[in-house]
Amino acid sequence: MTQETLTTAQLAPQSCVMEALQLAGRIIMENGGETYRVEETVTRMGRAFGLDKVESFAVPSGVFVSYRRPDGGTETAVTRVHKGATNLKWVDEVNAISRRVEARELSPEEALRQLRTIEQEREPHEQVLLPIAAAISGAGFAMMFGGGAAEMITAAVASALSQLLTMFLARRRLQALVGTLLGSLITALVPGVVARFLPLMLDVTVGGALMPLLPGLAMTNAVQDTMRGDVLSGLCHGISALLTAGLIACGTLLASGLTQLGGAL
Amino acid sequence: MITDVLRALISSFVGTLGFALLLHTPRRAILPASLIGMFAYLLYWVLLQLGVSDPLSVFAGALVGSMLGQGCARKMHMIATIFILLSIVPAVPGLGLYRFMELLGSDRVTLGAEAGVSAMMSIAMIALGIGMGSFLFRLLFSRRGRATRAG
Repeated sequence: MTQETLTTAQLAPQSCVMEALQLAGRIIMENGGETYRVEETVTRMGRAFGLDKVESFAVPSGVFVSYRRPDGGTETAVTRVHKGATNLKWVDEVNAISRRVEARELSPEEALRQLRTIEQEREPHEQVLLPIAAAISGAGFAMMFGGGAAEMITAAVASALSQLLTMFLARRRLQALVGTLLGSLITALVPGVVARFLPLMLDVTVGGALMPLLPGLAMTNAVQDTMRGDVLSGLCHGISALLTAGLIACGTLLASGLTQLGGAL
Repeated sequence: MITDVLRALISSFVGTLGFALLLHTPRRAILPASLIGMFAYLLYWVLLQLGVSDPLSVFAGALVGSMLGQGCARKMHMIATIFILLSIVPAVPGLGLYRFMELLGSDRVTLGAEAGVSAMMSIAMIALGIGMGSFLFRLLFSRRGRATRAG
């Protein structure tokens, strides 16, 4: 067999090929991509690398990849996925790399190098932008639910503080669920305190401020995955969404109790 | 009436814009995604004003948002996830979910259950609208879809 007839996968070290596939799948799953997208991307990249019998199975907590080696054996690897904050830019960048791989513009080594670069991207100004974005979102939704200036400003402040708290807890590597509980507590507490001193539509304000935290999107993904036949993935998303909703309920009830206690004192 | 329309437009645009920034949306997609979210919400709101039921209005908004999102993604060579996710953000029943939790927590179980069922219906309709929108888009605008219709 001449050099020209060897596939890119046969020329590249096998560990490099597998690592590229695993990394692509993991980045998409960790950053808010759909289950089918993970499986499709990994399978397409693998075929573009010249691999035989590429299979991928993804669930929210892990990605499985397998393919047939040139010597006839099967190579299988599993990657654990740790869900972080949604980052659509990274999902889009992996998709762009996948397209270039399919167009034969990138070798496995080059694809792996670019995939590794994605996770090393850190734009400092984006961290400053997040509380501002939360404030904008909270104000917008408070307005949508019928609130006026007081509701919008209060919702903006509550959302921003909640986002800052979540970011602070994430840096200390505390579980995301703790962030959800404390975040919802702050989000409901701030309007509760303000309502003691100013006339405020409390449910509209809290509803608007809670929108960035609510798992409505996760619930939608759960239903969509199930409709596509990814029942296991749909169940995982659904349970996660219910747990998040439960923690938010606890946080808001705790805040309500604290404001009532404060009023009584 | 005009004030209400303006409120619906501005609030949905601003809310979606904030969400786009929170989700680290690629810069060149932020404005189109926010506009799609605004149009989808406006359709939902107009249908509600015309007396259409909430589940149907949400379904229509999600369907149109999904189709617009797919088209925009194709034009801009980006993943459709970005635009579809942001198109449904204003329709997610945040207030309904909060009221459901608050009513259950304050022992008003019947009212809470009503609010909860309504919120869950909206979420199901959103998912259905997205799925139907994707299917319709492929049928109407993709080469394979056109071949299927011709054959």
